[in-house]
Amino acid sequence: MSDRTHDSVNCEAISGSVHEFALGTISGRDRSLVLEHLETCPHCRAELDSLAAVTDALLLLAPEIEPPLGFESRLVERFLKDEPEPVPARSHRGIWLAAAALLVAVVGFGVGTVTTHGSNPTHYDASRPLTARLTSSGVVLGQVIVTPGKPSWMSMTVDDGNWSGVAWCQVTLRSGRVETVGRFTLLHGYGAWTAPLKAAGNQVRTAQLVSVDGKVIASAILRT
Amino acid sequence: MRNDADSDNEISDEALLSGIAVRDDQAVLIFVRRYQRRLFGLALGILGDPGLAEDVTQEAFIRILRHASVFDARRGSVTSWTLTITRNLAIDSMRLRRSIPTAPEDRVFMNLMSNDRSQDDAAVMSDIVARARAALATLPIEQRRAVVLATMYGRTIAEVAAEEGIPLGTAKGRVRLGMAKLRDLVAVTETS
Repeated sequence: MSDRTHDSVNCEAISGSVHEFALGTISGRDRSLVLEHLETCPHCRAELDSLAAVTDALLLLAPEIEPPLGFESRLVERFLKDEPEPVPARSHRGIWLAAAALLVAVVGFGVGTVTTHGSNPTHYDASRPLTARLTSSGVVLGQVIVTPGKPSWMSMTVDDGNWSGVAWCQVTLRSGRVETVGRFTLLHGYGAWTAPLKAAGNQVRTAQLVSVDGKVIASAILRT
Repeated sequence: MRNDADSDNEISDEALLSGIAVRDDQAVLIFVRRYQRRLFGLALGILGDPGLAEDVTQEAFIRILRHASVFDARRGSVTSWTLTITRNLAIDSMRLRRSIPTAPEDRVFMNLMSNDRSQDDAAVMSDIVARARAALATLPIEQRRAVVLATMYGRTIAEVAAEEGIPLGTAKGRVRLGMAKLRDLVAVTETS
């Protein structure tokens, strides 16, 4: 029996999904299937790399346009002001840092007034989203945002910089009940998702990123 | 006579990211000046709203600057990294504003659909941009539209099918065939 490095039948079946994966437009179950296949198939990994190179090349075709006056000073001021304190790096995963709170910013809420920092608790205002840092052993990995409403929504951004794979997002409610929000994937260390919550936003005590084998990768404490 | 701009241009992207990682303010400034037009142009092309494009470009820069220390050159160029982050944030922003994207009618899209090469300013186009533009121009217009909608505007296959008024399988075929042709062309030009 030959020792094949990949299953050609399986590769053929998954080929279309690899295209969508490279485009970044794949979602849900298909994404998980592709990731699982890529872990054992160098042929499809090479295919993905070549397709991703095409996407990269096409993005270069966007024209260069001068941003509005004052863009540079606003950006640098914000970066220097918001820059988090340096954190120790993990030996095998590199430094994990906080991701941007874009989802909140674009819907017009004041992130700075509700973000939790250090030991300063944040009072919950039902009209505003609540944000918290997603951390592991004191290292910031990303950010969690709970936006109240009917339903309430939760967004999570993660940036590992290295790890790719499937993870579960769970929340622990004040009653102690654990609710699974969804199953997500990190590609090249990046992941961002938004999903509705079954429970009210102000009932969420913590949010966890859990690996497929049940290990808590990171968590965030939402102070209300 | 050399000036500061000349010496700034000689600093590699990777060296700037290393400087940013250790909080070198000058490296931050040079990096922002180097990339702000490119990132803003991409965001504006996708979103079509200057105010929103600025918000997205600012977020993209914040993310890039904060993650400077984890950039891995083995995975691709700094330019690709920054553009991908900006594209993804712009698409997320667009989807938050409207659940069903409308067909793009901006100048970027129209330009990419055009076969008129006189629009290209050869003097300012880098070699790789020129090659990508030429490769895209070889595709039939149907495939070109489908590929650009999917790559630059983040449309799913189902959204491409809906916007183009074609069956799902046809949309899938156009994107796949278009991407495969572009991949072959890029591979040929890179090795020739």
